[in-house]
Amino acid sequence: MIRLAWLQSRTRTLLGAAAVAALAAAAAVTGIRLSSLYDRLVADCRTNCGLATARFLSHDQFLQNALNPLIQALPALLGMFWGAPLLARELETGTYRLAWTQSVSRSRWLLTKLGVNGLAAVLLAGLVTLTVTWWYRASDLVATDQYAVFDRRDLAPVGYALFAFAVGALLGAVLRRTLPAMAATLGLYVVARVATTLWVRPHLLPPVRTVTSLLHAQFGFVAENGSPVTMVATGSGPPGAWTLSSSFVTASGHVAGSAELAGFVHRHCAAIATPPSGPPGNALPPANAAAEFDACRRHAAQTFHLLVTYQPASRYWTFQWIETGIFAALGLLAAAGCYWWVTRRTG
Amino acid sequence: MTAALEAVGLGKRYGRRWGLRGCTLAVPSGRVVGLVGPNGAGKTTLLHLAVGLLQPSEGSIAVLGDAPASGPAALARFGFLAQDSPTYPRLTVADHLRMGAWLNPSWDEAFAARRIRELGLDPRQRAGTLSGGQRAQLALTLAVAKRPEVLLLDEPVASLDPLARREFLQTLMEVVAAHGVTVVLSSHLIADLERVCDYLAVLVAGRVAVSGDVDALIASHHRLVGPRRDRLPANQQVIEASYTDRQSTMLVRSHDPVLDPVWSVAPVTLDDLVLAYLRQARDDAPASSPALAVAR
Repeated sequence: MIRLAWLQSRTRTLLGAAAVAALAAAAAVTGIRLSSLYDRLVADCRTNCGLATARFLSHDQFLQNALNPLIQALPALLGMFWGAPLLARELETGTYRLAWTQSVSRSRWLLTKLGVNGLAAVLLAGLVTLTVTWWYRASDLVATDQYAVFDRRDLAPVGYALFAFAVGALLGAVLRRTLPAMAATLGLYVVARVATTLWVRPHLLPPVRTVTSLLHAQFGFVAENGSPVTMVATGSGPPGAWTLSSSFVTASGHVAGSAELAGFVHRHCAAIATPPSGPPGNALPPANAAAEFDACRRHAAQTFHLLVTYQPASRYWTFQWIETGIFAALGLLAAAGCYWWVTRRTG
Repeated sequence: MTAALEAVGLGKRYGRRWGLRGCTLAVPSGRVVGLVGPNGAGKTTLLHLAVGLLQPSEGSIAVLGDAPASGPAALARFGFLAQDSPTYPRLTVADHLRMGAWLNPSWDEAFAARRIRELGLDPRQRAGTLSGGQRAQLALTLAVAKRPEVLLLDEPVASLDPLARREFLQTLMEVVAAHGVTVVLSSHLIADLERVCDYLAVLVAGRVAVSGDVDALIASHHRLVGPRRDRLPANQQVIEASYTDRQSTMLVRSHDPVLDPVWSVAPVTLDDLVLAYLRQARDDAPASSPALAVAR
């Protein structure tokens, strides 16, 4: 049965392998040059480091721009073009009637098919992720924000690929039609990824909380749609950390609401609280605006502090393992659902 | 002797609709069995239940005494050729034979290779580029080279042109002669079955209307023509009757000879017989019975 599964997926697998080989070759040639460029331009720059970084990043712009979307899309593509048709095509074209009446039980047929193709898909995703992670290592050192490329490096894409493949196989078995299964796979994959990024990943570990002075944060005033002028500030955690939120806290430690902040501006920064009349955009700031801004900021810093929550850089790998584990577990669950559906529900 | 195919109170429901219901049928082994019925009668459902592609909603079915597809050993005992002869369009003829060899312990390599040669198929050709007749022959080769005890074929010739149809049935008969395999063959065309079958089961609206040895069926059915009478002959089961002002024509089933001199007795053809049962089943359908009762 393994030989049949291989025979059926041979073209696809070899095409995938050829694409990975081409990618790896291109990445190797350019990546080695990038490494030496990094060593020469950025690694031990003493002066004008910004300029050196910009010069470094201007190399291989095409790959710089292309590889991130590629690794972002890869799991969805594997799910759509490898997972979804795996069973849907057999059910749609009726060849399952040929396969299931050979002297091989349906469960062995299914497990072999899922195993051989799933393994190939995960291997392919792993090789591409490895290549891309290696290729970007110098750029990522320059950018210093590892959490920004969290879902495109190291382990996570492999978990995503396993998940997308298994979901594709399950939806193909349930919907029994290739195109709807492909569309549903894409939809479900995107929803799962967006939901994880927005609502799950920030809460996987309790964030670290730190209180800093307003003077060290980005600070400003806003008035939205005629509501009173209030203050905003955005702090940041230590270098390499993933900052989740910033909020004003009083000396007693409670979080200040927007009414309280607006009241403060109204009481202590009268010049800012009443914006100049006239059509917006035309009014030139008064000559002493900068002085008033600083005075108000210093005053606010004596009353309020900024509470910043963040995930420290040291947790990067913990997050990688957890997220990969979640998606791999969901993928195995989908595969189990697929097994149950095909052996118990189909027919 | 174990029945090749035995169904008891078999039913399969698709949502609210029954594809097959109350089907009781025993097919002896060593025969070539025709399963005939109009489209939608449940032939495909019955065969899919027999090979385990479907699970029954009620009742039971057994092939050679085994529950269908209960394991690799049970799967190896039958060969199945599904409707429209499914094959993998991107795999070559040789790939299909390889698949058969990998998946079936009793695979007859020599037979498969010889058949492909006799059919003049190029082993390197992809199945997707074969003609309908060639594909059917390839699928039949796969089913037969598995060396099954029972061969089940679902409308194998429905989509073939007359020449391909004749060649296919020819091949099938050669296989039966050479291997003594039991064959269950479904079709909505009686002419196809007449040529090859020695046992017949008529399936209408999910039930078996009649089944039995073809010769026995023909011997026990008679067409009676006589003066009009509304009293029906005793000891005889009337399958179909039509009347003019002065004359009654009936198709009856009777194991005894019809001796009443009032009737002139004529033999029936298989065609007449099957059509009479199909019409009877249609007229017995609840929706249409009142109108027809008035007409009689």
